Amino acid sequence: MAQMNPVQYGKAIQYQLSQIVTPVPVYAAFNRNFAVQPKFITWMLRNVHQPVYTGQNQNNKGIDTPVFQISIFTQEIEDGFTISNQILQSLHGYSGLFGGTTNGFYVSKADVSWLYNSYDNTEKMAQIFLDCTLDVPT
Amino acid sequence: MALPNKVLPGFSAAMYAQSGATPTALTLAQLSTLANVSALAISGNLLNVEAIPAFGQDDAVASFTVAGSRQSDKIPVQSAPTSMTITAAWNPSDTVLLQVRADAYNGTTERTYVISATDGTNIIYYAFNGRASQFNIDPAPGAEAKATFTIHPRGNMYGWSNNA
Repeated sequence: MAQMNPVQYGKAIQYQLSQIVTPVPVYAAFNRNFAVQPKFITWMLRNVHQPVYTGQNQNNKGIDTPVFQISIFTQEIEDGFTISNQILQSLHGYSGLFGGTTNGFYVSKADVSWLYNSYDNTEKMAQIFLDCTLDVPT
Repeated sequence: MALPNKVLPGFSAAMYAQSGATPTALTLAQLSTLANVSALAISGNLLNVEAIPAFGQDDAVASFTVAGSRQSDKIPVQSAPTSMTITAAWNPSDTVLLQVRADAYNGTTERTYVISATDGTNIIYYAFNGRASQFNIDPAPGAEAKATFTIHPRGNMYGWSNNA
């Protein structure tokens, strides 16, 4: 099937994460350095890819399995862990409409991997990183 | 008529299945006739498969020992066309896949299949008559669900052709 539009992915991720962690602000990655709140989240989309299959038909493809990284920044370490749990409980294993009615799409499964926590001495912020893989029927 | 004169990537191959619930498979002469074969190789007949498996002819050989000889002899004998086990990403609404599924259920429907390979300009066709079998769906998580089926070609019923 036709390649999914990354713009839709971006809009859906922004919406879905905002819904989960509200009122904590959510930004696309490029806004990270401008964020001054004591808690905020950024996301980065990567690995948008549908495997291509044989022949001249451009739409002979498999499903898309994009991954987005969620970066949680908090001044209090425990706040970050709490927010990461909100995301885990909401997204890990989730199946259904992802990203709201306007820009959302159906995902068969969302698979969240809690990667690691860290601390940035320069920014004085604790960090937690998670990966979320979406299985999107195409 | 010109053959593609390049080494072809595997991606250059595509597969088509004759349409219709009760098709009239091509005759042996038609299987080697470009007009008949290319008429089947149209987008509506395209099987969206992941890859084209090995196709052609199996090996078959008889060994003979000759009295008094230092060596035995191997003689090629009747060899079957290669059965093809094919995997496709499963779209439940794909009409060509539904047709293959119906063929497998029926078991005796004989249909002409065409494999094309192209360098982008010229096309070579391998056409054969076969019956579908073992249609199953593998919904293992982590990738798309797969529809897998086997096509058993009929003996002595295939041909090669190419376009200009």
